[in-house]
Amino acid sequence: MHHNPITITHLSYAYPDGTEALRNINLSIHASEKIAIVGANGSGKSTLLLHFNGILLPQTGEIIVGELPVEPRHLKAVRNFVGLVFQNPDDQIFMPTVWEDITFGPRNQGLSGAALAHRAEHAMYAVGLNPEHYASRNASNLSGGEKKRVAIAGVLAMQPQVLVLDEPTAQLDPRSRRQLIYLLQNLPLTQLVATHDLDLALDLCSRTIVLSQGEIVYDGSTEAVMNDQDFLERHALERPLCYTRPYCQLEHRPLEQPHPASLPHW
Amino acid sequence: MLLHIGAFQLDADSQRSSPWHQLAPRTRLLCALLFVFATALTPQGRWWTWAIYALGLAILMGLSRITLPILLRRVATEFTFIAVVLLGTLFRQGGTVLWRWQGLQITTVGLMVLGSVATKALMCLLMLNLLVLTTSVPALLHALAALRTPPLLVAIFAAMYRYIGVLVEEFNTMRRAAASRNLTSGSRQQRLVVGNMIGGLFIRTYERGERIHQAMLARGYTGLPPGAEVTAASRQDRIALTLMTLLLLLGQAVYLWF
Repeated sequence: MHHNPITITHLSYAYPDGTEALRNINLSIHASEKIAIVGANGSGKSTLLLHFNGILLPQTGEIIVGELPVEPRHLKAVRNFVGLVFQNPDDQIFMPTVWEDITFGPRNQGLSGAALAHRAEHAMYAVGLNPEHYASRNASNLSGGEKKRVAIAGVLAMQPQVLVLDEPTAQLDPRSRRQLIYLLQNLPLTQLVATHDLDLALDLCSRTIVLSQGEIVYDGSTEAVMNDQDFLERHALERPLCYTRPYCQLEHRPLEQPHPASLPHW
Repeated sequence: MLLHIGAFQLDADSQRSSPWHQLAPRTRLLCALLFVFATALTPQGRWWTWAIYALGLAILMGLSRITLPILLRRVATEFTFIAVVLLGTLFRQGGTVLWRWQGLQITTVGLMVLGSVATKALMCLLMLNLLVLTTSVPALLHALAALRTPPLLVAIFAAMYRYIGVLVEEFNTMRRAAASRNLTSGSRQQRLVVGNMIGGLFIRTYERGERIHQAMLARGYTGLPPGAEVTAASRQDRIALTLMTLLLLLGQAVYLWF
């Protein structure tokens, strides 16, 4: 395990049409940290994520993953080090059956036979899928939550040291979302989570990075930034739901009683 | 009609147990391919050869315990498409003219060719549908890989199979979206909208393909899909292949020696 699995210095990226997606990003991530990357639509979150395992290569600046700079000759090692879970599981699960899809990554690493089966089963148990029931299932007949788990298992099976997730809770029902949060909380990996779900960020991540128009405008404690309403609103964000109301259910209301004199008389 | 493809099950009979089902999928595939090639490459008019093949096919249909109504319904649907093409073989020169009307004529040779090609097509369809009914698509893809089909081709088939449902779903979503905004006026308007939908679907598919490729790269894809593991052939597999070859040779021998 590396102390600083990912270090980014002076990273900028512009799309071919000239849109500047990232400007001078500097970032250092420590081992076993869980970090939320938040920001409005189009703030550069996804572009940043694609840099973490070399799908996009840095135009200027440098990214060090483990001990290797992200360069074409190190891509294989970089991709084994950083696992990327895409937003839409339908984009990621492309093999006909669950088992084939989960074994895709480890096969690319050269595993086969019992070692491969062990890896895949381990990954399936880690996300709460029973290999007996799910291995031969057809990927297109799964529910959204199941697909998400399969997608994560497919990445976990590669045994990465860093897990990068793009919008993990999008399109999940409340229970699947909660299960996913438990799952992520219990995975002992370094995690980077790009999300609009600030409650998720608050539940899962101690550190938050706020991106706005391609720049890092905040990097620090999650709780501190979630309390700063003005700052969040300036960057097109909103406080987490659990902060916006003092309490939601009557039994959770503050214990102080109203003064008898203020009660109406009748 | 085509758009309901996601709703029906291709391999309706794949969970049964029969001698045919006990064979490895690649043996089944190989048997089917041998049968199809032998049938198709037999010269026109060799009725006895096809009679022997048909007998073999009938035995196989009995052995594999498939649901006949499903098989026949599928073959009937597919055969109507082929029949349109086959009609062209009927009107040709040669032999005795049986019927003539303006430029068209039906001759004995025309009838013989039509009969031969129709028989071939029907038997091949029966065999291939039997294979698809009894073998799941992932198993068939494994079989293709085991038979040394170029892995990239197998990967393309696999992706097609995986995404046809997603595409159908996307198309239906667009259609519902159009319908919910009252797309009912005039068939011309409807054709226009369906055309746009297909165009939109094409672009979406292209973009999705790009995202899938990125996701594959992220899991260490290097341009060639990882090879499948091949299990050794069992005795049953060898017996099945030998029987199939014997049947095919017997069919051909009828015209060589008698």
